[in-house]
Amino acid sequence: MTDPSPETGSTLRPKRGPHLVLMALYALFILASGSRAIVQIATKFHVAPLAYSLSAVAGVTYIVGWFAIRRAAHGKPRLAEVMLWVELAGVVVVGTLSLVKKDWFPDASVWSDYGGGYGWVPAVLPIVALLWLHRTHEKSPEEGKKEATA
Amino acid sequence: MVKDAPMSALVPIAWIVVGYAVIVAAAAVLGMVLKAPRPRWLDQMAWMLEVLCVVLGLGALGSLLQGHRPESMSTHVGYLAAVVCIMPVAIGSIRGERETWSSGVLAVAALGTAVVAVRLMMTR
Repeated sequence: MTDPSPETGSTLRPKRGPHLVLMALYALFILASGSRAIVQIATKFHVAPLAYSLSAVAGVTYIVGWFAIRRAAHGKPRLAEVMLWVELAGVVVVGTLSLVKKDWFPDASVWSDYGGGYGWVPAVLPIVALLWLHRTHEKSPEEGKKEATA
Repeated sequence: MVKDAPMSALVPIAWIVVGYAVIVAAAAVLGMVLKAPRPRWLDQMAWMLEVLCVVLGLGALGSLLQGHRPESMSTHVGYLAAVVCIMPVAIGSIRGERETWSSGVLAVAALGTAVVAVRLMMTR
């Protein structure tokens, strides 16, 4: 039971840092939104097709977001730069639509009310991840350059 | 009503799981705030939480086998699987890493377990 050597650079082992917590949160939301969407689509899709489809989209977004953060932690932030903004836009657009077009949402989607059903974590998560990405990218501009030239 | 009795008996266990999960999460967050490497006792607390989750899961499974039928079987079984699986997956993902932020992973997993335990009881 020895501690690992720091920063081996291996892509198979997570580096150290706050992204571990972000990835755990994304994994939790993959489970929550993914399983919710699967059950709702499989059992009562006709009740709220738009809301349930958007839940599925949220689930896929969290899956891609998880990989994006993992890549960003290994010095490849491009995907995260796109995906986190897509995720934030999704929360804002779906959250707003769920408030102004209530008849479109007979049942709640994951991002309804800006993620109110999940303690508004879906709204906060991409913002925190973007802040982390910004700080990480600022710390290691040479890594960004490395990726740009790759 | 008789069929619901075993499930009702699980409610106190579920609340113990929730309370203990909150304690584990608080201890993990404290470790992060203090910027300390993840202590071994936090892992032991997390595994203890998993034992409680397994007890809750087995009880809920036993209730289903005795004929109890929740309102939405698929949702209930999903929560049942999740409450047992979250913590081992979280611990596995930080195996070998003892840095400060790895405590945060346990905090997230413990809070997730607490929420799922509540949802499991809500869907019984």
